Amino acid sequence: MDGTYRPGTVGRGLAWATAAYLVLPILIILPVALTDQRYLSLPEDGISFQHFRTVLTSPEWLGSIWQSFTIAVAATVLSVTAGTLCAIGCWRISRRATELIRVLMLLPLIIPSIVYAIGLYRYFGPLGLLDRFLGVVIAHGVTGIPYVVITVSTALATFDPRLEQAARGMGASLSQTLRWVILPRIAPGIFSGAIFAFIHSWDELVMVLFIASRDVFTLPRRIWDGINENLDPAMAAVAVLLILFTLLLLMADRALRRRSEG
Amino acid sequence: MSDARGHALSLREVSKHYGSFAAVERVSLEVGQGEFLTLLGPSGSGKTTILMAVAGFVTPTAGSILLDGADITPLPPEKRNFGMVFQGYALFPHMTVVENVAFPLRVRGLSRADRDAKVRAALDLVQLGQFADRLPKQLSGGQQQRVALARALVFDPNLLLLDEPLSALDKKLRAELQEELKALHRRVGRTFINVTHDQEEALSMSDRIAILNHGKLIQHGAPGALYERPRTRFVADFLGKSNFLDGTVRDSRPGGFALENGASRLAVALPDGEAPPADGTRSLLSLRPEKIDLLPEGQSADNVLEGRVVSWAYLGTGFSLRIATEALGEIRANLPAWRSAFAPTEGLPVRLGWDARAAVPVAEDAP
Repeated sequence: MDGTYRPGTVGRGLAWATAAYLVLPILIILPVALTDQRYLSLPEDGISFQHFRTVLTSPEWLGSIWQSFTIAVAATVLSVTAGTLCAIGCWRISRRATELIRVLMLLPLIIPSIVYAIGLYRYFGPLGLLDRFLGVVIAHGVTGIPYVVITVSTALATFDPRLEQAARGMGASLSQTLRWVILPRIAPGIFSGAIFAFIHSWDELVMVLFIASRDVFTLPRRIWDGINENLDPAMAAVAVLLILFTLLLLMADRALRRRSEG
Repeated sequence: MSDARGHALSLREVSKHYGSFAAVERVSLEVGQGEFLTLLGPSGSGKTTILMAVAGFVTPTAGSILLDGADITPLPPEKRNFGMVFQGYALFPHMTVVENVAFPLRVRGLSRADRDAKVRAALDLVQLGQFADRLPKQLSGGQQQRVALARALVFDPNLLLLDEPLSALDKKLRAELQEELKALHRRVGRTFINVTHDQEEALSMSDRIAILNHGKLIQHGAPGALYERPRTRFVADFLGKSNFLDGTVRDSRPGGFALENGASRLAVALPDGEAPPADGTRSLLSLRPEKIDLLPEGQSADNVLEGRVVSWAYLGTGFSLRIATEALGEIRANLPAWRSAFAPTEGLPVRLGWDARAAVPVAEDAP
């Protein structure tokens, strides 16, 4: 951009250092996953894909991947439905009380998840939701709501309220206005929220450690156990797959945003 | 669409209060079938609030709104079947021109074939047929405005409401679209209610103008009648420009009176049937700048005034002069430039003259 200050050497150096600090721990996983050794280490005599093979053929790993995926999908549906309705409701009513509700909805982001997890453990027990698919879906779905509320509220902030008036003036009922005018305008926000809610559930560990044990064994949980029990490089391979998957989701999010702006 | 009769609307003592603030205060107004009525006023005069009350987006605090005699005050906007063109148009950005125009028909559950035929007719009406598949952001301001018009007319609305429909356009386009809008009104024969703060737009398009100020209806009537016979200082000043001359009424008789101001006596003629003010009362005259002539040597008029040019501006079509007079202070006069050998200079002595029918007595505005 013309007319702006150029960054100095120090600023530029700091920026690169920060970027490196963010990316390097992720990149180190890659050579580790390709190690030819049988323990968590860097490759010594050459690279090997054996650990990827292990992961993609082992029923335990595949089962966990599938379980994590279905939980994440179900939790995302829950987060998106509740979060979108909440954001639209707050936006439509738009009073001081709704500001409070919006802040309340962000609580799962603010409160440490271990505190949340202890709470869930206490009252999921009597409800019979411990170590159940439904229990994890509820836990992940509820804590995913903030992401959706944030992205949908942002989308609604740029929504011209006269469009709603125009639709009403032309005879549209509330549900018609919602379906044909409001939702299409905020769809990119909903999709963004969905992607973040999905990622949130997909890599959530702390709550799963508390409320699941044997029947529900998600992917992060299996990595965690693998680290604790044996230093199997298969974990690094899983991590690489996870990173690729997350990257794909984020790229989808970007592409969607670009399309809605363009 | 062309054979439909317009509907009549009446406002009865409509008020809208926000706390102790009266946005609209006891406004009563009749809008005839097929009439083009403009609500004109400065910002904050309540004109948009009235339009929104007619549309159903604002619930009046008191009073009622009737369509063809039936009370529609409690009806929500989606049940009123009124077309509306919003300020800034409020086109749906994610829909093409066709989808925008088809929206009110889709809402009403029309079949695809019926929808297509009506949309095509509406787009032809505003000459936008070739832009059917564009998105609003790919259209110019004038084209967007026409899409908004087509969308507001496509479902055979009982009324067409226009909220400052031309304010977003540049001056030249505005003049063009004023003519188009007027022609469209003639073609569709519906009742139009337009809101604007632009007096030129109001004068050029409307069958009737209602002038509002501070939430009150000040005066309404045909554009010519309002311009020629303003009843209050505000109307004379807001609709066009005006000089204001005050003084004491003398020689009051049917058909006219004289206004005494210091040493000068101004002759005022009244139209038939207008009662003159009583002798000895204070009166205020509105005198349009274009009704003042520059008198050549030896020529006279009902009223003659001597003065000097303070400043002048050339406007192409004419000169706008500020003239200092001893008797009445500063006077504004507009003279046509063409066919006039007049060459103004500052300090130039001039003789002004005007007809006794030119000045109109107006009331001071209520505080």
